[in-house]
Amino acid sequence: MMPAAQRADFAACSGCSLCLLVCPAWRRTRDLRDTPHGRAKALQHGVAVVELKESIESCTLCGACEPVCPENIDLVGMLLELRRQLPPMILTRNITTNMQAERPRENVTLSASTPALVAGGMYFGRPALLARIKTLLGSARGITVANDNGADIALALEIGATVPPQRIERFLAPLRAHKTIVLTDGLLLRQVRAWLPEARVAGLGEALGALAPLRRQLRAGDLYVIDPRAYHADHERLVTHYDGLRAETGCTLNLDLQRIAIPATARSLRQRLGADAIDDAPQLRWLLQGRTIARIVVESESDRFAIGQLCTLPVVHLAELADDPSSPEGKQS
Amino acid sequence: MDTAPSNPLPPCPVGPDSLIAIKRQQTNPARWNGANWAAFAVALRAAEVELLESLAACGAFATDAGGTAYGMPHGVVIARDARQISNLLKTAQEHGVPVTVRGGGLTTEGESVAFGGVLLDMTGMSRVKSIDAAALTVRTECGIFWHSLAEELRREGLDYLSAPLNLTSTVGGSLNVGGIDVNSPRLGCSADQAVALQVVTPTGDIVECSETERADLFQRVILGYGQFGVITEATLKVRRYTPLRMHYFYYSSLRTAVEDLQILDRNDASDYSGILTIMDSAVNLLVAFDSDEREAAFNAKWRARLRGHGEFGFALRAIPRYALRPWKWPEALYLWQRKRQLFPEFRRPEYLRDGLMHDRTVVFSRAVWKFWGSRQMVIPDLATSAEKFIKAVERGNAVCRKYFPYYTLYCVGIKLRGDHKPHYEMSCIPPDATGWAYGCEFEPVMDRVYSRDHLQSFKNEIYDIGVNLGASYYRFGGMMKGYIRRALGDEVVDRHLAMKRKADPAMILNRDVIF
Repeated sequence: MMPAAQRADFAACSGCSLCLLVCPAWRRTRDLRDTPHGRAKALQHGVAVVELKESIESCTLCGACEPVCPENIDLVGMLLELRRQLPPMILTRNITTNMQAERPRENVTLSASTPALVAGGMYFGRPALLARIKTLLGSARGITVANDNGADIALALEIGATVPPQRIERFLAPLRAHKTIVLTDGLLLRQVRAWLPEARVAGLGEALGALAPLRRQLRAGDLYVIDPRAYHADHERLVTHYDGLRAETGCTLNLDLQRIAIPATARSLRQRLGADAIDDAPQLRWLLQGRTIARIVVESESDRFAIGQLCTLPVVHLAELADDPSSPEGKQS
Repeated sequence: MDTAPSNPLPPCPVGPDSLIAIKRQQTNPARWNGANWAAFAVALRAAEVELLESLAACGAFATDAGGTAYGMPHGVVIARDARQISNLLKTAQEHGVPVTVRGGGLTTEGESVAFGGVLLDMTGMSRVKSIDAAALTVRTECGIFWHSLAEELRREGLDYLSAPLNLTSTVGGSLNVGGIDVNSPRLGCSADQAVALQVVTPTGDIVECSETERADLFQRVILGYGQFGVITEATLKVRRYTPLRMHYFYYSSLRTAVEDLQILDRNDASDYSGILTIMDSAVNLLVAFDSDEREAAFNAKWRARLRGHGEFGFALRAIPRYALRPWKWPEALYLWQRKRQLFPEFRRPEYLRDGLMHDRTVVFSRAVWKFWGSRQMVIPDLATSAEKFIKAVERGNAVCRKYFPYYTLYCVGIKLRGDHKPHYEMSCIPPDATGWAYGCEFEPVMDRVYSRDHLQSFKNEIYDIGVNLGASYYRFGGMMKGYIRRALGDEVVDRHLAMKRKADPAMILNRDVIF
């Protein structure tokens, strides 16, 4: 994908509406104002950012709109910038203050040739899963798990808080030693790729999905749920990766006809922050509608949790595939 | 190829200055003056219809895909259900407030732009109600994009019959104007797929209609350019989904390619056919099939009769043609660059499996938006009988050459249904067409910024060909409404105007589109 600086901004929006077709927020409200198209047209007509607050906060940041935009507009970057321009919430102020005060946390770097894993908080809450991921990704040369997982930066990006440059530097300094960095957070991944252009930055799904032992566990009857944020951030390249995965394994992917990932959840900012009630059921119904599946395989732990709340089908994290008793190898073990 | 009209034309009764070869200005309709708006807004809200008057809401609908007509509504209503639309139209009739209905906004002559009054955004009504896989029908709200409908149908292994090769066309929009696909030579236009409709009439009645129930309304609403009601729901025929077996034949002559296209259509030799060109220099006849059997039959009987070549054969013939004409080298370079950009887009591996193209509309629409889309799109067209088509294409091509260095022509046939003749009256289907009608879109590549006068003059010259040949137009109405009267004649237009006045006493619904 072209660097954000070289890409177009909202002024280039021609109003083609292609973003509506893939926008989970639009699917929820069927209201043009809640879409990139609606926001771009409003801004073209001189509407103040604060008047678009509801629309700006309705975005799920799944990034599906970017790969389909024929004008190549930096739609995610534009949305993040709009969130920064909104009057700050109390949380926004607090997180910026905390980031300025935070002390550095050193990684134990094995060597530059080992990959670094930046795992979100949910993975630290499931140590067995994290250990499994470490084993899978570090089987050849070991792996460095970042002590600083940048969770505050990810949250700051999401809510539109300013991230102090020194905080970014503290986060990036230990990562600079690694040629390969694997992140579980798709929004953070997008930023790290921009901050460290020389590094090979991959999402957890892509990194695990490249492992033959895991690919062998996938089969027809699996619905493989790609993490949308990571996928859409590098869609042009990853669409081939996942098409190969489908062809090789026969699994069904959560892709629509444009090969855009349908998110398992479609939560607005207010829902993510707990200010509004969460209702994942309509989005999950759309994900599953008309599909004959026996098992759901997810790349993201948060998707596993959300789907597991509402769905009676077995839901397995990609890293746990070999441990799944219904898998061929799982049965053997 | 001559561009001069061969017959004298009658004076235009609508625009006396609309004389051939005289440059005309862009003519946005006058903005409605807003009389009674405040009382209307109060009454509408009392009827529990949400009315959005903010700049953010109105500004989003200020123009259409054409990007040359601009107008702001006084307010926007997002369609939610038939009852709400009924309340809107009843209140609008009472207060004399114009209502402009918009689907995907893919018009290019301002037909879906509200020059004041209410803009009714139909995309708010875009849910599939039910799919009957056994009967091969779907019942859907009509603000749905064809692509969204395809997404839902595909989960059941189904597909729509034919729809525009554009992801953001809506079902309602296409039923109102036609809708052309590369399978239209076999299956007809999108509007011919409708089995039954729910319509809210201009006076607010919610009516179900079909060929057997309220047939008069059904005939007027289908291909009716939104004049006789708002289509809120439709029952459409669908079919089993099949990927396509694609074949491309390249020509250096428009005439030969069009002749071959018509031979294929007349003989039902393919399931899909159409012509896409790079100027008139590389003319691509696209032929495709739903099944191995149909493809084999084509290969056995028709393939050798086509006069086009494969990509390599065409290139071999083009090289000496350009080598001996140094003044045409820039054009050759453009062809080469265009080929390098375009062809990979039609061969993306994620849409090709085992040599079959999946999701043709996605493939074509992505290319259309990527390589032809821009803030301004000018796509005048001509729709003629089969007999007049070659002449229309050649004359239109000469106009394109005159105005633009780079352009594309898109030609496709439309199978006509004898029992749908009443639908076709005063529509994009030309009155003298039998068996098939043919459409050609003339689409300049916006390689630079052109003035609106330049674009309008170009369109006028194309539309003049239609008047001269006795053709019709797909992009019908809006700022070219004067042409409708000239092309189709006063008698038919006045008869429809009388019906419109009866159905829409305050003349509020989609005014300035035709009448």
